Amino acid sequence: MPDDEPRYDNPRSTARIAGHPLHPMLVPFPIVCFVGTLVTDIAYARTANMQWANFSSWLLTAGLVMTVFAVIAGLIDFLGDPRIRRLRPAWIHVVGNVLAVVLAIINAFVHTRDGWTAVVPTGLTLSALVVLILLVTGWNGWDLVYRHRVGIRPGDAP
Amino acid sequence: MRRLLAPLLLGASALAACGPTPIDPARQIGPNPFLPEPHQYLLPPMHVSKALGWKDGAKPTVAAGLQIAPLATGLMNPRSVYVLPDGDVLVAESGGPDEPINRPKQFVMNVLEKKSHTPEDPGQRITLLRDVDGDGKPEVRSVLVDHLNSPFGMAFVDGSLYVADTDAVLRFPFAPGQTRITAPAVKLADLPGGPIDHHWTKSLTASPDGAKLYAGVGSNSNILENGLEAEKNRAAILEIDRTTGASHIYASGLRNPNGLTFEPTTGALWTVVNERDELGPDLVPDYMTSVRPGGFYGWPYSYWGQHVDPRVRPQRPDMVAKAIKPDYGLSSHVAPLGMAFYTGGNLPPAYRGGAFVGEHGSWNRGKFNGYKVVFIPFAGGRPNGMAQDVVTGFIKGGGAQGRPVGLAVDAHGGLLIADDVGGTVWRVTAAH
Repeated sequence: MPDDEPRYDNPRSTARIAGHPLHPMLVPFPIVCFVGTLVTDIAYARTANMQWANFSSWLLTAGLVMTVFAVIAGLIDFLGDPRIRRLRPAWIHVVGNVLAVVLAIINAFVHTRDGWTAVVPTGLTLSALVVLILLVTGWNGWDLVYRHRVGIRPGDAP
Repeated sequence: MRRLLAPLLLGASALAACGPTPIDPARQIGPNPFLPEPHQYLLPPMHVSKALGWKDGAKPTVAAGLQIAPLATGLMNPRSVYVLPDGDVLVAESGGPDEPINRPKQFVMNVLEKKSHTPEDPGQRITLLRDVDGDGKPEVRSVLVDHLNSPFGMAFVDGSLYVADTDAVLRFPFAPGQTRITAPAVKLADLPGGPIDHHWTKSLTASPDGAKLYAGVGSNSNILENGLEAEKNRAAILEIDRTTGASHIYASGLRNPNGLTFEPTTGALWTVVNERDELGPDLVPDYMTSVRPGGFYGWPYSYWGQHVDPRVRPQRPDMVAKAIKPDYGLSSHVAPLGMAFYTGGNLPPAYRGGAFVGEHGSWNRGKFNGYKVVFIPFAGGRPNGMAQDVVTGFIKGGGAQGRPVGLAVDAHGGLLIADDVGGTVWRVTAAH
């Protein structure tokens, strides 16, 4: 560890394989699933074709399963280096994503209803809220990397 | 798996605990049931009875003046009973197909379904019981026909035994006295079957003149969640010409009609119907009704007349307007699957002419409802008075020792009850 070069000693990602942080590899799965849920919810609301609501249900479930892994990796990083916890965007990232996951879990239960009210209006609203939150937390997730160099390999000059 | 699910469901039900307080089911029995506002949940109230079976000679409790004894035990999921003209009793031992998993919820529902059924495979056959002297101890027990496809309804007319498999009405040549059918079946008419086959029991009865058969065909969903295409010829009673096999919809909007039978004094067709779930512990009341030719009874668009179901799209105000109010509410989620008018002479006179209904029992409500056989007095061919408990004691703690399904009246006037979880056919007679 090149501790003699403090200028380049970035906040470290603790959950990593061969120097590659795991969290950024895992988050695309739930993000794509939850964005997909919004799309298929909109398709159902426009067509009342049950197959779209079924897709939403599967996407929500798959998204939540992958969320478990993304959260584990993210939490290990968050708890693994105090320099990350000192970053304000990291807290927004954690709190926002916890909220998104809670809403997605509630949404999964709403989607177990039968017929129209599995989606309209509560399910669709929750799907849209989750995507909005992900836009914010995704944005400051990128902040953490591109601005605060979280997980950038020490010694690599910017 | 169940160990994983239980805490998950508990947590979710804590989330979803806020809902209407359950009412006394008695308020929903009769021609004008009280209907609370519909309520939708994150997780609907659920209490699935665990299949226990009868241990150490335990048996159901009967009303005063009656006694009960098993006519046959060790049956493989007996779902319906039928009495032939010569007094031989047929028992359909049957179970439904597994539903395909169209979304994650179905996976959970299949697990719950397994808990509430006996672990043994259903027989998928018809067993014949012969009790000539009427002492309740059959001298002959024989598998009449096996390798059937989820059989339920049975009717004997004019030298033929008609069996309603889940996907077809079959005709077997049959002479009374026979204990084994070896002749192959002829398919008389198709019935809507798989691949989904949500409500799989096909009730069957013949018109009093024997010219027509009537088959009850349940819906392919709770409330259209498998799409409208899956509901073709379903949630209906089909009328089938017994000679040509031609069939058409006789009445519709009946979510899951079972126990089809003709009222003996008026000759009207009656059925018991399982109404929709997941609108609350006290919606929608299951019912018993006479069936008008061409009548529409609401499903899926509305319930109990013009109460619109918010879960259906597109809505159909024209169909809602046409929906007939059923004759008699049995209260919510009791799951009536069998019905028999009492035409025998053995039971006390108060039972003559009225209807027995077998209530398989609830899952979609916190407190069990049903799990008993009730009696509804009739006068002038119409229900006349409050339903009375006749056979109870199926529930023990959180489980079911047995669950009543199909009913029939035997040649000696005994009331027969198919008990699928208990693997038993019970016989109720007058107490000595």
